[in-house]
Amino acid sequence: MALLEVRDLAVKFATRGKTVHAVNGISFDLEAGQTLGIVGESGCGKSVSSLAMLGILPRPAGRVTGGSVRFDGTDLLGLSDAKLRDIRGNDLAMVFQDPMTSLNPVLTVGRQLTESLRSHLGMSKREARDEAVSLLDRVGINDARSRLRSYPHQFSGGMRQRVMIAMAISCRPKVLIADEPTTALDVTIQAQILDLLRGLVAAEGMALILITHDLGVVAGVCERTNVMYAGRFVETAPTGKLFADPKHPYTVGLLKSVPRLDARRKQRLSPIAGAPRDLTSAPTGCAFAPRCTYATPESWDQLPLLREIAPDHHVACWNPVPEADLVTAGLRPAARGEPA
Amino acid sequence: MSVAQAEAKELEVEQPSGLWSDAWRRLRRNPAAWAGAGLLAVFIVVAIAAPLIAPYGPQERVGDLASVPPGPSREYLFGLDEQGRDLLSRIIYGARLSLIVGVVSVGIGLSLGLVLGALAGYLGGRVDSIIMRLMDIMLSIPGFLLAIGLVTLLGRGLFQIMFAIGITTVPVFARLLRGSILAQREADYVLAARSVGTPGHRLLLVHILPNALAPVIVQATLAMATAIIDVAGLSFVGLGPNDPGLPEWGAILAQNAARLQNAAHMVFFAGFAIVFSVLAFNLLGDALRESIDPKMRT
Repeated sequence: MALLEVRDLAVKFATRGKTVHAVNGISFDLEAGQTLGIVGESGCGKSVSSLAMLGILPRPAGRVTGGSVRFDGTDLLGLSDAKLRDIRGNDLAMVFQDPMTSLNPVLTVGRQLTESLRSHLGMSKREARDEAVSLLDRVGINDARSRLRSYPHQFSGGMRQRVMIAMAISCRPKVLIADEPTTALDVTIQAQILDLLRGLVAAEGMALILITHDLGVVAGVCERTNVMYAGRFVETAPTGKLFADPKHPYTVGLLKSVPRLDARRKQRLSPIAGAPRDLTSAPTGCAFAPRCTYATPESWDQLPLLREIAPDHHVACWNPVPEADLVTAGLRPAARGEPA
Repeated sequence: MSVAQAEAKELEVEQPSGLWSDAWRRLRRNPAAWAGAGLLAVFIVVAIAAPLIAPYGPQERVGDLASVPPGPSREYLFGLDEQGRDLLSRIIYGARLSLIVGVVSVGIGLSLGLVLGALAGYLGGRVDSIIMRLMDIMLSIPGFLLAIGLVTLLGRGLFQIMFAIGITTVPVFARLLRGSILAQREADYVLAARSVGTPGHRLLLVHILPNALAPVIVQATLAMATAIIDVAGLSFVGLGPNDPGLPEWGAILAQNAARLQNAAHMVFFAGFAIVFSVLAFNLLGDALRESIDPKMRT
């Protein structure tokens, strides 16, 4: 049994008579110590699924409408509020996207760090403070003891994200969900924060779910990667395999739209045509069909489900991208064996 | 300029910029705040030290009964009233009443308004609808009329009057706090706090409320000015504290209004006191609003 088992998780939002089908049945397993990347464009349901796993969807609009989230064998979705609160922070924790707004501006950093230590682990004020100092040390904040008395605005963005990470790992959670942890930071700070996450995961044996729209980030950190589109996983594979041998047209599109260092000078970026699917109607057929050059009548009528096309490599597509097209797209060297 | 220097400079500028320390800094730079605070300080000192400053007691008859009482003189700076009481002393003692009325009635209104507004904003849904419709009903009745009605209902004791005035401010505080909480409730830091398992009551009291309180504090300052006017107004229409000897400014105004033509001093100084105390609160409240408003931040 995996540490975290998500099965057919579905989330809907009810807004002004419309229903947004944000997440339409995602399933995955996460083993202890594993790192999983979830990749997709804005609005594809990445963040919503993580909020749903923690039971902190915005109420009353957001609702889990199906599926299960099992942590260590217990279904989180069936738990009472109090029990779930106990698990949040303790076993499952989350790092949010924007460190500038994710810390309470009127409380000192120390107060915010010690809050969960005291409520979850029942530490005394003094113990919690000492622990907070060592946490700040671990996430690389100098002069931690005096920093406890600082307010969030006295920290830079990168430092605030470090504080957020310290808060998230304070109770030694078994699963850490990082929702675009580096998106609001500049590139050098991004690298530092990713290094930090990688180090912590290795040192603590935590499982990590890294949610991002940045393929470069998953490439550097995650063992497995799930590509998400319109509330479903469309391709899941070990990260190396996904990059070397993408099968879903959407994954290929994402990879093609990454700017490349070895590109010819005047070559333009190739974005994916069209706009993300409107999620207010119930999906029929493949959600990517309107933007897909490989779409056939079948794609429009029938929903493709994830199927294993190679060992440990699942794709939800009727017409996976053929080898030859990967070569012309520049994602594959022309002839194998020859140096690229 | 070297990088280190630039950094140092940035630090210097950024150091004292918490919400409150920032507001405090801007408040100190605002001359209106100084004027309001100074004026208010004068009133507070006068109120506290009334027995030391006032030349006579507030009920003490120092002159004769007179239909046209003597105006200001060296002996009686503000003149005497019809019953021969020194007006300066009465107005000085009146400062106590006015400040107490302002603070207590706003205190009553604020505490009720905070509870209702917090419940409505945080719980939302049906609770929110019920509380807010109730507040709408109260707002639809002109505040002063509501106060008159309540005083008629409850009686004319000083506390009843303060309670009545306090009640009229409840919907304003409740609405203001509700809106402010709604804005904060979906903030990222609240989500982050929820994600580490912070229970609901702590979310509200520790995280949301302190961030939502600023506009309410401003409103409370301004409401004190209104409370002072309201109690004077109630006295003026004959619904003031039922002890006619109480040196309430509005009561002094009302009792002597008929003599405006031949003994204006009896009305003039009491009116002056009302105007300046209200002005003090208004100046301070406006300055506070400007200093807290994030749009005014530099």
